[in-house]
Amino acid sequence: MVGGGPQLRPGLVTLAHLGVLFLDELAEFDRDVLDALRQPLEDGSVEIVRAHGSVHYPARLQLVAAMNPCRCGWHGDVQRACRCRSGEAERYMRRVSGPLVDRIDLRVVMPRLEPGALVAPVAPEPSAVVAGRVAAAWRVEMERNGGRPNALLRGRQLQRACAMDRAARDALVEIARRLDLTARSVHRTMRVARTIADLRGRAAVSPEDILAAASLRDRSMEVPLAA
Amino acid sequence: MTHRTSEERTAWVALAAAPGVGPVTFQRFLVLHGSARAALDAVGAMSHRSADRTLASELGMRPRPGLAASLRRAAADPESPLRRVADLGGWVLTPLDAAFPPKLQALEEPPLVIYGLGSPLSLQASRSVAVVGTRRATGSGRMLASRIGARLAQAGAIVVSGLAVGIDAAAHAGTLDAGGQTIAVVGSGLDDPGPRAHRRLMSAIAAHGAVITELAPGVAPSRGTFPRRNRIISALAAGTIVVEAPARSGALITARHALEQGRPLLVAPGRPLDPAVAGCLALLRETPARPLVGLDEMLVDLALEDPAPSSGPSARLSAMAALGMLAPSQRAVAEALLDGPQTVDAIVRRSGQATGVVAAALTLLQLRGWASALGPMQLAAGPLLTQPEAGSTGSAPSETRPPGSSRSRSRSSGSWSMGRRPGTGPSG
Repeated sequence: MVGGGPQLRPGLVTLAHLGVLFLDELAEFDRDVLDALRQPLEDGSVEIVRAHGSVHYPARLQLVAAMNPCRCGWHGDVQRACRCRSGEAERYMRRVSGPLVDRIDLRVVMPRLEPGALVAPVAPEPSAVVAGRVAAAWRVEMERNGGRPNALLRGRQLQRACAMDRAARDALVEIARRLDLTARSVHRTMRVARTIADLRGRAAVSPEDILAAASLRDRSMEVPLAA
Repeated sequence: MTHRTSEERTAWVALAAAPGVGPVTFQRFLVLHGSARAALDAVGAMSHRSADRTLASELGMRPRPGLAASLRRAAADPESPLRRVADLGGWVLTPLDAAFPPKLQALEEPPLVIYGLGSPLSLQASRSVAVVGTRRATGSGRMLASRIGARLAQAGAIVVSGLAVGIDAAAHAGTLDAGGQTIAVVGSGLDDPGPRAHRRLMSAIAAHGAVITELAPGVAPSRGTFPRRNRIISALAAGTIVVEAPARSGALITARHALEQGRPLLVAPGRPLDPAVAGCLALLRETPARPLVGLDEMLVDLALEDPAPSSGPSARLSAMAALGMLAPSQRAVAEALLDGPQTVDAIVRRSGQATGVVAAALTLLQLRGWASALGPMQLAAGPLLTQPEAGSTGSAPSETRPPGSSRSRSRSSGSWSMGRRPGTGPSG
């Protein structure tokens, strides 16, 4: 995944540089492999150390991953019972480590669709329209950030780009406190909120944007469910 | 308590907790020696050689290797189980104690000892209902269990269950969320709390009710322990509700105990031919159990509807008053939750708002205690909505005060709101 071998070959994360790396069935990967993703996801590069030296490869990628909620796939379903043994669903979730989950900004639970919705889908927003909105937001953020996407904003740049009014700042503070967000999660929530505001075409980040960003950090992966 | 009875109580617990001593052995010891103290003294005086065989012939049972050694250890340090319970912050009740619940003493095979965390008083409550069902629950089964727990809490009843995953946990959690009390009867020693995911739930139950077991600290759960504890669950409750049970579910054992004990049994029916409820359907067909058709009817059938200190309508009324303090988008979502737990998709459909807006509103409602998550994509009304005093701002802790629209622009932390201004929110 990260690269290596006798020839120090670049791995998948480098091949996906400036692109998308899609990992299906995330929880089925080895723990070591998954944890090796943490460095590229944070730094945008990967370091491979061998006895005779080390190399850095670029690895600025968009990670997209999918997984089932448990081995049988029915955990949390409204109609059908999960067939896994007690505690197995929680163990399955925990295969993806907390620090890695922490670095995944948008987490969406996908419940099973009712058959009716599959046969007669509601007219979704056309992809071209969404693409137009994304392109417009992209132009706005590149212009404001001096050629950097929101995802790469750090420190003071991030604070400046995320101009928040008092209410939005209060919202972020309360959410961070109630959800026990790590410092990294707070910054990641700010970047997502900034992007949501850009997509909504607004200059300032509002409490709604903060909440929307927080609602996308679905926590069912972090907090083992009681039931 | 006199010195003598206190000594007998210590010996009683030590004898009952000794590995290898079950209820039958315990009774024979009592008959043979007259007291637990005398039994332990007798074993202590026994010669080590062939002690197991001597014991067996005394008790009239087959020899059990290790029994004598186990008893000798108990005799050498009879305080040990009491100490272990005290270290866990728990308490012990024996039939020698005045506070031992008569409901348990009336059992055909009363527990020799009750080990507990939390409030021993909760065991005496007469308004108490057992809610049980399968570990392998469906999402709708869990939602139903949690609604039943919440409604019983509002009716002032204590909810008794087994702290297993699935229906049990949902019933406990629903009761706690509604500000009620609940008792968990576990099938292992108090220091072995079962599913790791339930540690937090267990301490919440101990803080608002009790966690009890008849098994000594250090006893691991096994095949036999769960069915046996079910008789305690049904005995503590004035009535029992089976929420979701496939054929051969442990909940059916609890149901049978309830019928044997002459307590009312309500069973949630399901769809015919659905294996998830096969056990429920069999109960309805073959026993005097009554079907659970609604939460109001449930209270009537359990004779709980009358002196309900804060039941349905008034709680709902104050909840509606409280809703006035929410911004419109949140109010639509909270109103949907008042009809019971539901999925995010269902809330989106009902409220007619965009998914993103609903998700953001739900996040806020959860933060502020107006909603609580039952599982992925399933939410229920939270403590602030279900507690009877939800309507009065004064009773809500200032930290969790819902945002009033008039306060939405004030400067103090926690007062921000999320009103939906025109032109806000993405279209999709």
